[in-house]
Amino acid sequence: MKFPISMLRDFVQTDLNADQLGDLLTMAGFELEGIEEVDGDSVLDIKVVSNRGDGLSVFGLAREVLAKDSEAKSTALYEEARIDFAVAPDLQRVPSLSIDEDIAAIESEDCNRFACRAFDHVDAAAKSPDWMQVRLSQAGIRPISILVDITNYVMLELGQPLHAFDRDKLAGDRIVVRYAGSGERLTTLNGLEHELDGQMMICDAEKPVGVPGVMGGLDTEVTDATTRLLLESANFKNTNVRKTRKQLGLNTEASYRFERSVDPNGVVRAIERFTDLLLQSQPNVQISNVVDHYPGRVQFEPLILRVARSSVLLGMEISVDQAKSYLERLGMDVTDQGDGSLSVVPPSWRPDIVREIDLVEELGRVHGYERIPEELPIGHTPVGGVIGEYLDRDRLREAAVRAGFIQIWSHSLRDLHPLDAGGQRVGPRNPASPEMAHLRNSLWPCLADAAQRNGGRDLHLFELANVFSRSDQGYLERVELALWSSGALLPTSRQGEKNPEADFFSLKQSVVEIVENLAVEIRFESPNKSDARLHPTRQAVILSESGKACGTLGQLHPDIAEELGLPIQSLVAALDVATLFESSSRTVRLKQISRNPAVRRDISFETPKSIPFATLESAIKTACGDVLERQWLFDVYEGKGIADGNHSLSVALQLRKPGENFTDEEANQVREQAVQALVALGAKPR
Amino acid sequence: MDLIEQLEREATSEVQAADSTATLRELEIKFLGKSGLYTGLLRQIGQLPAEEKPKFGAKVNEAKARLQAMIEERSADLKSGERSAQFEAERIDVTMPGRPLRVGYEHVLQLTTNKIKRVLGGMGFVYKESPELEEFRYNFDALNYPPDHPAMDEQDTFYVDDQYVLRTQCTDLQGRTFETSRPPLRVFTVGRTYRNEAVDRTHSHTFHQVDCFMVDEGISMAHLKGTLGAFARAMFGDDVKIRFRPDFFPFVEPGVDYAISTPKLFNGRWVELGGAGLIHPNILENYGIDTERYSGFAFGLGVERIPMMAYGVDDLRQFLENDLRFLEQFRAMA
Repeated sequence: MKFPISMLRDFVQTDLNADQLGDLLTMAGFELEGIEEVDGDSVLDIKVVSNRGDGLSVFGLAREVLAKDSEAKSTALYEEARIDFAVAPDLQRVPSLSIDEDIAAIESEDCNRFACRAFDHVDAAAKSPDWMQVRLSQAGIRPISILVDITNYVMLELGQPLHAFDRDKLAGDRIVVRYAGSGERLTTLNGLEHELDGQMMICDAEKPVGVPGVMGGLDTEVTDATTRLLLESANFKNTNVRKTRKQLGLNTEASYRFERSVDPNGVVRAIERFTDLLLQSQPNVQISNVVDHYPGRVQFEPLILRVARSSVLLGMEISVDQAKSYLERLGMDVTDQGDGSLSVVPPSWRPDIVREIDLVEELGRVHGYERIPEELPIGHTPVGGVIGEYLDRDRLREAAVRAGFIQIWSHSLRDLHPLDAGGQRVGPRNPASPEMAHLRNSLWPCLADAAQRNGGRDLHLFELANVFSRSDQGYLERVELALWSSGALLPTSRQGEKNPEADFFSLKQSVVEIVENLAVEIRFESPNKSDARLHPTRQAVILSESGKACGTLGQLHPDIAEELGLPIQSLVAALDVATLFESSSRTVRLKQISRNPAVRRDISFETPKSIPFATLESAIKTACGDVLERQWLFDVYEGKGIADGNHSLSVALQLRKPGENFTDEEANQVREQAVQALVALGAKPR
Repeated sequence: MDLIEQLEREATSEVQAADSTATLRELEIKFLGKSGLYTGLLRQIGQLPAEEKPKFGAKVNEAKARLQAMIEERSADLKSGERSAQFEAERIDVTMPGRPLRVGYEHVLQLTTNKIKRVLGGMGFVYKESPELEEFRYNFDALNYPPDHPAMDEQDTFYVDDQYVLRTQCTDLQGRTFETSRPPLRVFTVGRTYRNEAVDRTHSHTFHQVDCFMVDEGISMAHLKGTLGAFARAMFGDDVKIRFRPDFFPFVEPGVDYAISTPKLFNGRWVELGGAGLIHPNILENYGIDTERYSGFAFGLGVERIPMMAYGVDDLRQFLENDLRFLEQFRAMA
């Protein structure tokens, strides 16, 4: 809310300058967003939090200044406003017109209060006084005509929205606040026509003439020709204003205030202030009595505030006397109970105060949060830090980094992508744009995006993040680890030096290294059903120790790689982190280190390519028994001398016996057992 | 005897003339080796009269020792010259670039998160997570939001259906925690949150938050300030000061926003970091926690805000764009 500081000084006498007042309001919870000089005055821009509608008026902020600054004094205007301008000896307020109680009626539970006053001999075409035009302009409100300007000025000053009807245009000379029937229509001041159905409306004897707390109707608008006014000052339930405003697509200064609460006891105060300001310019205007219907009067129950408990919760000492003084300055009705507690009735403009803790906050606010000392909590210290599954996840990420992968963080909300996983999708029903209508169900699209952004080649990336899908049981959110590898495995080397390129087997080994860091063992198998996103003959399903599928690894399908403009030889992997950990025993046991030397034996053999290496490897392991410490494939050859459909493999065996040396003969014998096992599978020794 | 002197003269002159340690090694073999010239000389001992034999032998051995010493001395001289030449020849330009290695590194927001986890973990808060696709009730109802609060608008919150939203804050963890755990509690999380906002340099529909809370006997605003002060100093430096200003959030009462000031950042200007306060007793009571015995505090913080302040990142969008030219600059971040 913007207002010139002179308006605040109308209510408060203080030595503080504009900057200091801005700081004071900030520390009271009304943040100064900006301060600027406009036409010779400082204009404050104050942000008011959503539960403090009372701060959306200069009068309300003046109250906060008086509460926070014990040096500040209230002005005569402030004191008059407090009592609704009921005694204003210098004002001629003898009504010369009379209106009946039934000029207005409330037939709706959403209207707390409705008051009005009639005015006659008004010059609606006149301008408002210069000082008012200046102040309104400073506040960012365009001056229009005397009636509009005074209405706006009173709203800015006191926070109460007002609406002036041209009384001659009100059918039946009457206002009824009622719910609209189906099909009733209203054209609002902004020229929009609304078809109504059940909304609370301000109506005349025949039809809706205004949207309560939002905007008046066009047909009953005040014009330059207007001489007779009916001024409305009312209070409506904030939920109703909000609902209607949203239904009709309207948003005004008035509705903004009503949604945040307007003081129902300020209704007559605003009428009197309007009258005062109008009479100052047009002394010959005739005024009526005020008709006031107030069915929604709220009786606030006293709250008990234990001052000692407040001090404990605030962490600073506040005395009973201080507490009483602070709350009274905020307009509360306070009784000292004599037992260290206060009985407090909050004022009508503070519907946010409903229990003791709300009063504790008021004490803290006025006493000053800058006086709270810093203390560290003592007492119970439960286990802290990152433990359990979260620690596993951290370690998995660290392992990926050690394996030479760069971590990316990308958007979860995104467009569809050729690398999306199958299955039912989830997404917001109100997406901001079609490009972010879906929650990712795989991290591969994110990795592909990052690869494209960074040139596609020589990239080794990973992301560890949540992916989303839907099943008949509901929504599923799970953590995935996904890797991307394309191009040179090392950064550009010097000319002539060998620089291997990423392939299926390089990424496979990275995945193995990463999970082995967490004592997890995995296997790779040809999938029964291939993943359409991947090269059909270069993909594997990753199985956990217990044989459960927990991931996929493969080369991008060339069609997709081409479509995305990414290297054909782009490798991706994905692991479902929960499955990976759940179905692994994750045991680490120390093996004694042998002092006896190991013996190596090599076997080369020709075998049909249709036999998976894992089968041969497993046969060798079984045949050699415990003495086989390690075996590894060190050559793969096909071509000259090897039958079509076959290849030649060379495997090294590392044999060792704890506490004993292997003799050559023993080693040869173990090798022979392995050879026999391979022959039994159809391999030919070479 | 002449023979000994003659051989010694010959050897001396050759050793003096040697110009490399390799030549010296050859000379050593030639004169002193198993079948060297001195050994040959000793073989002649047999032809000498018996009384001269010991003397001859002794002389030959003395001459050998002199030659050995001379060779060693000469060798040391030559070797130092040769090493100098070798070092000169092997000189490298240390300013040439190192051999490239492939290294992985973490994302800047990860590095920030790691630091937060270390600090809050060290203060006894345990790390937990809650879902991003969250039930409406944990995001709003459980946190004392009045029905029809503006934050619940479809303009502000992404709805998946009537019951599920993309969480707008990581405070959703509180209700989930109170549902299953009793005080004393010290818990924190770092996670992704969503708001239906237009994207520009300082706004994004996706961002990250820290949420930290504790519930115990006698917890006060002073404990909140002390904890935030310790946290902020660990994150931003020892000279950080902390300030509370009243603010409103449905889930805390009293509610504040907190700002920090340090000479190292923005000339000591107060910079708002997030919201905080005492957990609203309505929340604790909803989960059956006795608010006469227990109270608690909570604070929140935007993760992106930390690198934005500390490293001058001025466009929020860059964080999730994954341009490696951007990300690689933060690898040394502590």
